[in-house]
Amino acid sequence: MGRILVVDDTLFMRTLLKNILFSGNHDIVGEAENGEDAVEKYTSLQPDLVTMDIVMPKKNGIEALKEIMAINPKAKVIMCTAVGQEQMVKLAIKTGAKGYIVKPFQAPKVIEEINSVLKS
Amino acid sequence: MKTIPAKIEAQGKWISAKIEIDETTIYLPEPVDTQILLKSIDDVQQRKNIITISVAEQNYRIATVPKALVILKRVILMGCSGYRLMAYFMSPAIRGGVMVSDAEWEKGAVTVLTSGIWFVSQKHQICIPIADVSGIEQTQREIQGTEKNVVKIDHVENGDVSTSFVLCPSTTLQVLYNYLTDATKGSSLDGELDPLSSQVAMLVYSGMDSHSIEGMLEKSQREIDAIYDRMLGLGLVEVVQTRREVKLTTKGVRFVTEAVKPPTPQ
Repeated sequence: MGRILVVDDTLFMRTLLKNILFSGNHDIVGEAENGEDAVEKYTSLQPDLVTMDIVMPKKNGIEALKEIMAINPKAKVIMCTAVGQEQMVKLAIKTGAKGYIVKPFQAPKVIEEINSVLKS
Repeated sequence: MKTIPAKIEAQGKWISAKIEIDETTIYLPEPVDTQILLKSIDDVQQRKNIITISVAEQNYRIATVPKALVILKRVILMGCSGYRLMAYFMSPAIRGGVMVSDAEWEKGAVTVLTSGIWFVSQKHQICIPIADVSGIEQTQREIQGTEKNVVKIDHVENGDVSTSFVLCPSTTLQVLYNYLTDATKGSSLDGELDPLSSQVAMLVYSGMDSHSIEGMLEKSQREIDAIYDRMLGLGLVEVVQTRREVKLTTKGVRFVTEAVKPPTPQ
């Protein structure tokens, strides 16, 4: 079980991810709807793992990831992306993301990926 | 000419036989005693260690060991009548929204037949049944540092939604895309879904059950059922389970009433 921060600018995707993670026996410690909010919540909540959307207002997922990695180089962040954003994904992995999932996703596979990153 | 020990089906019985095959012809010996030109084969289907080859209206079933089946399929798929091109493919690249970590580009052939899309390389022979293809799209993917046009095929594989990619020269990419789009047009949606129904579709895709969907979208069972009816009408979903709602009978009410009474002191 992990303490997870869910970051996505759409309420629908946040709720969907929260439900999936909850069904995988994970605790949702918080949610954020943009990169700025994500960095703040990461600092205050210190989650075990963050699921981070890439395209978001104010501060995008890559910028937020950079700041989180500066705060904690061992941070576990999984990027959520749409197909066709491979360039972004590559940048995210270089920046320190531990994994990525592609929208739309299926619950069992997402839980598998998250469990694997949490164990690593 | 290669000789392959196999069993061929004749009049409902499996008969041991030695099949002969070369780059243009396959010969099925007695009692079938038929010579088939590979270019006359319209379709190839595989179930476990049995392949069915279709020529016009006639089907021939051949069973053999996996190693021999690989050779047989390779020769047939490279010589049959389907649309075929040399390409690079990655299948599956994504499974259930998660990248397949050991997926790699393989050089080989893509053969599109009536019932399936076959990827044939030195290492693998993968078939995506046309009936399992949920989407065809032209998109870009970064390959060795440059953005390249690829065809993306979404398909259902053992209950998981998977994605495969095909990379080929741009001159043939459009032809492949058009061919695949035409071959799979039966699974395209005629019409549009309203935003709420689209959200329901997304949640079903993610594996949510009806109760969770009602909770997530804050909708009643009746509202969600109405959306399911629309999706059923469009052929987007199928019913896997019917939920029951019950009310207590007089006997049931009596049981509950008795059950909550404090125990009588002895």
